[in-house]
Amino acid sequence: MAKDDLALMAHLMRRAGFGAPNDELERRLSVGYEETVEQLLHPDGQAPVDEYELLRYQPWTWKPGTMSNPGPTSWLYHMITTRRPLQEKMTLFWHQIFATGVSKVDHWDEVADMIDMFRDKGLGNYRDLLVSVAKNPAMIFWLDNNENHAYAINENWGRELLELFSMGVGNYTEEDIRECSRAFTGWTIKHKLPRFPYGRFDWSFEYRPEDHDDSEKTFLGQTGRFNGEDIVDIVCRQPATARFISRHLYNFFVADDVQVPAWSDTPPRDPHAIEVLSNAFVESDYEMSSVLRVLFNSDFFKEARHDRVRSPAEVVVGTMRLVGGADFPIPGYGELARQPSYMGQDLLNPPSVEGWHTGDEWITSGNLVERVNFMSALVGDPTRPGVRSIVAELRGRGRLSPEKFVDATLDLMGALTVESRTRRQLLDHVSGEGDLVWSSERDVADSESRVLDLLQLIVAVREYQLA
Amino acid sequence: MLTQVVAGRVYDYSHCVGQYLGGMEWPGEGFVLPVSLAVSGEDTVYVLGRGCESTGTGAPLQPRAFGARVGKFKIGPLPGDEQHVTTFGSYGEAEGQFVWPAAIALDSSENVYVTDEWLGRISVFDRTGGFLRVWDAREMGEHGSGRPSGIAIDRDDRIYVVDRVNCRVLRYSVDGELLGSWGDRGSDPGRLDSPWGIAVDEEGYLFVADHRNHRVQQFTADGGFVRSFGSYGSGLGELNRPSDVVVDPEGDVYVCDWANDRVQVFDSEGVFIATIVGDAHDLSKWARMTVEANPDVQKARRRVETLEPEWRFALPTGVAFDRHRSRLIVADTQRYRIQIYNKLADYPEPQFNL
Repeated sequence: MAKDDLALMAHLMRRAGFGAPNDELERRLSVGYEETVEQLLHPDGQAPVDEYELLRYQPWTWKPGTMSNPGPTSWLYHMITTRRPLQEKMTLFWHQIFATGVSKVDHWDEVADMIDMFRDKGLGNYRDLLVSVAKNPAMIFWLDNNENHAYAINENWGRELLELFSMGVGNYTEEDIRECSRAFTGWTIKHKLPRFPYGRFDWSFEYRPEDHDDSEKTFLGQTGRFNGEDIVDIVCRQPATARFISRHLYNFFVADDVQVPAWSDTPPRDPHAIEVLSNAFVESDYEMSSVLRVLFNSDFFKEARHDRVRSPAEVVVGTMRLVGGADFPIPGYGELARQPSYMGQDLLNPPSVEGWHTGDEWITSGNLVERVNFMSALVGDPTRPGVRSIVAELRGRGRLSPEKFVDATLDLMGALTVESRTRRQLLDHVSGEGDLVWSSERDVADSESRVLDLLQLIVAVREYQLA
Repeated sequence: MLTQVVAGRVYDYSHCVGQYLGGMEWPGEGFVLPVSLAVSGEDTVYVLGRGCESTGTGAPLQPRAFGARVGKFKIGPLPGDEQHVTTFGSYGEAEGQFVWPAAIALDSSENVYVTDEWLGRISVFDRTGGFLRVWDAREMGEHGSGRPSGIAIDRDDRIYVVDRVNCRVLRYSVDGELLGSWGDRGSDPGRLDSPWGIAVDEEGYLFVADHRNHRVQQFTADGGFVRSFGSYGSGLGELNRPSDVVVDPEGDVYVCDWANDRVQVFDSEGVFIATIVGDAHDLSKWARMTVEANPDVQKARRRVETLEPEWRFALPTGVAFDRHRSRLIVADTQRYRIQIYNKLADYPEPQFNL
């Protein structure tokens, strides 16, 4: 029972965070599952990441430059060092939905400011978040709302608001898009100083009443002189919005489902779960923490072990949190921040407004090699504190049979459970050299090497690619 | 305001030097995140660039970077009167290279000392940039292997180095012989938390930017606590993570109030005098060349409501005082420039009701 409780806690921390080492899981288990959920939902109980520590040692992470510079570094530092894992996970969740990219915006710092906004509001009210997104300069530029004028409508933002940010295809008409767009005329950005000759400055939201179409609009069957916030209110009240956000939550936190473009004609993988989440969304007046409380405490969540492919960001952050040594903003963080992009997830630079396709689509022959090589290099590095800790823990247990060696190592990597076939393969690999022993100096050297070897093998197995 | 008349002093904005180079490794006409300054006679200013990591290695945690270097400049009293003399040092771990260059200081022979708070060493160059020597300054302490951060050299060439890890001050000879150390971690008077910059005044007192305690502390040369300047906050005389400090010949103390984006001035008794927030209303010579060569940049500058955000400091990290010209120089780190203020001794105030 205790072992299963530990596995369940590991499952929670993989989904609501980026995984946790065994000692953290034990600590959380002593608090209990439901209380851990509450702690995750109330991040204020933990100290925030000290951004000044990063800026002191890596000052280039402040308003980083354009394409050649490692723009996501500050965010990666947050994800790796945070004591508020769900806050960062929700930030990642919203970045996947409100996908805004530097490929067009051309200012890492503006997209990074949006990430900061997600961190601040991501666990709060969806309606408030949607208004903030509508006023976010990076989003306004990304979807051309600065080109949306009372005298010349640009429908890009209005269309994506309905199609990708709230209701989903099939729940509105082209006329609704037009009327929605009219309501957001005048929502624009104040010009900022150019990047040369003194670096980056900030855009800010600006409402220009003279450029707003204040005449009557009919949107989703309602008529009035709607402005943008009225549209957001109407959108939030639509059952389609509750379902749409719930499908996103399910796909991100529970289990891989078909991708967004298929949602209009493919039913959810678990309709019951979507109904439960939708109800929580409506009953809480769109409070995301309330919906997540229901999600994490549900049976459908608890039973969905290893039903998701880990995203590249989860791979990189989870690995760094496991092996340690990156709590301080050490040299190389810039290159570390690029690693998810090599695996197919260029943070702050999604391929399109639709975000990344997830699930099996994370895995290609090239991406798989990248992720395994990345993880293997780090778990095979005996100087890493997390790796040293695993070695020391195994050594502390004395002589271990091959079975105990494999099981203990899987446990120490975060209560990892694998299929019996996988376990058999791991066992076959270590059995040839017999028991793990630490009697002599040579034994210690050999055993350390065998542990590293097994760690590298484990990160390459199928189950380790799953969350 | 460009001219501050306060408490019997006059601080008068002069001009700025430098520009953002957009990720380029140009040697002369700009800095990459200037973090520390050293001044000798004849208008010579050494500017230490922290540098910027860039991508390209592909391997996790294998850094590549540009701009970690020392630039030597002649900076005259008038706007536009600046010349690049030489550049030395580069990113790397070989002799004469830096990974995290933190602070710079000059000895009486104008040899240049640069601390590296990642490699944990102090590199010494001659005034032409020729590499002389390096020593390991990772002195073991209560909290492990130390890392040198701020550096100051007194008139007798005693070298004081801040160990940010062990929260203490180390004293070296010019050859790198450790002569002593004092200080430990804490928040009580006399203790330090993650100290950063350091200065020595005419009388040999030491001033340490006590970064995480949000104050500057004054000590005798052997570590005796004298007084403290500032406390946490953003009001007048308050500090938020100070990064550096310098003392002028009259004893006024200038503190880089890093996280408040400003410099705070105190008198020698610790009484608050003035706040300087950055006044670069004019373009530097090199910045003007960039702007004039780019019509779109010119137009973009004309369409903003105000240029004022450009005037202000952004996380200024280092301060120096040029005694020969009686001027304060601020490393305006995130704006890739330095700003210069004259401290005027003779200032005829214009008619009050003009």
